[in-house]
Parts: sequence; C-alpha cells; structure tokens
Amino acid sequence: MAEDTQDFLTQFSAALAERVAAARPLVASVRVRGHSWHSGTLWRKDVVVASEQALPRAAEAEVVLADGGTFTARIDGRDPGTNVAVLRLEGSPQPAWSDALPPQPGALVLALAADGISGAAVRLGAVHSVGPAWHSRAGGRIDHRIGLDIRLGRGEEGGPVVDAAGGLLGISTLGPRRSVLVIPTATVERVLEPLLTKGRVARGWLGAAVQPVLVPEPLRDQAGQTQGLMVLGVTRDGPAAQAGVLMGDIIVALDGAAVAGASQLAELLGPEAVGRQLQLRLIRAGAVQSLSATVGERPPR
Amino acid sequence: MSALPAAVAVPLRLRVSIVAADQLTAQRLAELVALSGHEPVDPTEAADAVLTDGSVAAESGLPIIALGVGEGDFAGFLPADAGPAQLDAALRAVAAGLSVRPLPARQPDFAPLPDEPSPTLTAREVEVLTALAEGLGNKAVARRLGISPHTVKFHIESLLRKLGAATRAEAVAKGLRRQIVEL
Repeated sequence: MAEDTQDFLTQFSAALAERVAAARPLVASVRVRGHSWHSGTLWRKDVVVASEQALPRAAEAEVVLADGGTFTARIDGRDPGTNVAVLRLEGSPQPAWSDALPPQPGALVLALAADGISGAAVRLGAVHSVGPAWHSRAGGRIDHRIGLDIRLGRGEEGGPVVDAAGGLLGISTLGPRRSVLVIPTATVERVLEPLLTKGRVARGWLGAAVQPVLVPEPLRDQAGQTQGLMVLGVTRDGPAAQAGVLMGDIIVALDGAAVAGASQLAELLGPEAVGRQLQLRLIRAGAVQSLSATVGERPPR
Repeated sequence: MSALPAAVAVPLRLRVSIVAADQLTAQRLAELVALSGHEPVDPTEAADAVLTDGSVAAESGLPIIALGVGEGDFAGFLPADAGPAQLDAALRAVAAGLSVRPLPARQPDFAPLPDEPSPTLTAREVEVLTALAEGLGNKAVARRLGISPHTVKFHIESLLRKLGAATRAEAVAKGLRRQIVEL
C-alpha cells in the first residue's frame, strides 16, 4: 500500500512506533542481585541513570542495553534530593539524544521502560501539567515541574521520556499517589558530575524537622507574618542543635528574608550554602528572638 | 464462597525438603528450618514442603518457598534475611494451601516539600498533635505543654474538626506525618 493512501491514524501510529524505535537504544534494564529488574536510561557513553528511590542499595548491578549488551555496572552515586542514581559501565555505545523543547500541557509524550530483557515497554500519554522549579521532600531542586497523565508499572520508573519530536524530556519518576513526574534533562545534567566524581550531591543542612504552621495570632505583628516553620525535631549535634534551636520554636525568617514554607528554607540550603552563617529569627515562648547557625552538609541517607 | 480448601490439617512439625545449588547453602537452609521448629529432609525423602534458594527447579508437586528470590513459580517468597519465625509462618501457610509474599518495599513517593499549613493548623494544635502521635493521653499532653486538660480537649476538638477526623488516631494519621520534613 502506498504511503499516501494510508489514513491519518495509520500514519500517526507509524510515526509513534518510529519515535519509540529511535529512543529504544536509551533504555537500560537494571537488576540488582536478589531483586527484580528496574528501568534506567543510557545517558552518556558508559553512564546509565536510574530512579534513586526505586534502586535497591547495592554496590553493583547488572545492566542490559537495547542491543543485548550485558554489563556489570558500578552504582557510583545516588541523590535522593533529585531522585537520580548513576551507574557506571565499561564499553557501552554512545547514546544519541537531543534536548526536548519546553513541554506544554497536552503535548504527547512516550515513556519508555525496560522489560527485563533487552526490549522496551512503552506508555503513550500527554503532559498533564507544567510548572516552575520545585523542591522535593529530600531538599533537592527540580528545574521544572512536569506531570504526565500516564501510569507506570512496577520497575518502569527511571526510563527515558521523549516528546513528539523525539527530544528527551527527562526520566520518569513516581510521585505522590503513584502520579508520574519527569525529572527534567537539565536536572539530571546538573547532578551528574558531582554524582560521578563524589558519589553524592552536597546539600546544605540544618538538622531540623519542620512543618509549616500558622503563627499564633498575638505574635503576628511582632513576627511580621502569619506563617512560619515549626521545629518538631532537632538532630542531635546537628547545626540547628549547635545553634541552640529547640523543639517548638517557630522559624519566621532566615537572613532577614521571611520563610513561610519549607521550600523557601530549602532554597537557602543549596550546595553553595554549606559552611555559611545564617541568622535565624524565631518565635520562642511568646517572644521573637535571633540565633546564628552554621549550615552543615546533609549527611548521606 | 471461597476457593480455598475449607479445612486443611497442617501437622505441627513439617518435613521440609531442602533444594539448593551447593552444599553450603543447603546446610544453611537446613539450619534455618531446624531453628523454625521443623524437620529438614533430603530432596529424595517424602516431605510437606520445599525450601530452596531458587537456583534449582524443583518439580515435586509440593509447595515451594524461595528464599532471597524475586520472582518465579513459587508458592512462597521470603527475603534473603528472613528469620526462623518468618520461615515457620511461611511453611505453615504454604502447607495450608496459601501463598506467601513479603510486604512490598516502601511505596516510592517523590513528593514536593509542603509549603502551606494545610489544613491551617495553629502552632499549638501542631504541638498537641505531635504529643498525641507519641501516644500521650490528655493529662500527659497538658503536663507537657503546661496547659490545662480542658484546653487540651479544646485543641483536640478543633483538630478533629479541621482534619475531618473522628478519632485522635485518625487525626494523627491525617494531620501530621506527611507534613514534616527534615532540612
């Protein structure tokens, strides 16, 4: 049958299959001994990235690439903050991919995953929502919020997500209530070097467990805001403990800038913050007071 | 109503056939079976169930428990570090015609930091909720926070209302755990 006699749907379907075939060399099956397989993405020559939260703790994993090549890979680094783990291989091919354009809600995407051997499983969906940079619960900064409308099966997170033009959006990740997010290409690129060289991504740390709360009514004028971060736990000998922060304190400002939510605090605790002095303004026993804390480095999990 | 056999008699002490790749593993599995209160036997002998490291396909019609194996056609799966009590429970279960699976690992949940006090709890309410989460009673909460038990009751009622919870336990489950982050 000649190409021009095919209807639109057939052409659409063929185009999708073509995109999948083009992206398939990026799909890696990752298996840690004693566990079932997981998905990964061949990011560079000899480097596979995977979902940190899904990858069992181990030193080594077996990696099977799309061409059937099987490798023993070293798990070289993990960053729970951005949910990226890197595995180092020896002698893999050079993957070919290009950056995707900024995604628009409604744009079609293909999420590829490993099937446990050298094939690929595919989910077709749309970009469900996009948003600005955000911080994960582990304090990592994710460059864009990209939600997908697909579901992922067991072992499928960590595979490449490509757009309709075949550009790489990032790797798939399971979010709250099994929603599917994308860790953007820019974020993976940013953490890749520190993960490969040091095994982790340095991140500022205060050692305080906090929760956003409303500032008690009588103190709102004095605090200058209605919302703060209540300290519900202080890590022993951590930076907050050494600064004299106590359970029950409500942090209202850091270095003069109001903090009402945890992500504002996380913003001030980036890699460059380690070793810096921070002025904490907090409410304790009905009065506002100041403390000085030295930002530490978040200990590995 | 149920497809399960209605009444299965499971002997107190089961004979467990050991199938492993090597002698050393077989010995380790046999010791674990003995510790769990059952009798390890050779693969050639009559048995009630099979315990394997998964490396050898055992075709005997008996229920098989695989230790430290992720997948396969087995009645039971146990993690590699399963203890005698877990093995005992698993052996009885498969001998009774049930299948055994370990609890799935923590549900992955790569979630954003919470930025809003939602639903808008006051600092005092969070303190009360934290104390409730530790299992303290009203009087103990009052003592810790230096307020009267009557005031504690007032805060708990407000918490139940704001969180749409019927009980204190439900309030704790709904209100607290997912909001706390360490920074």
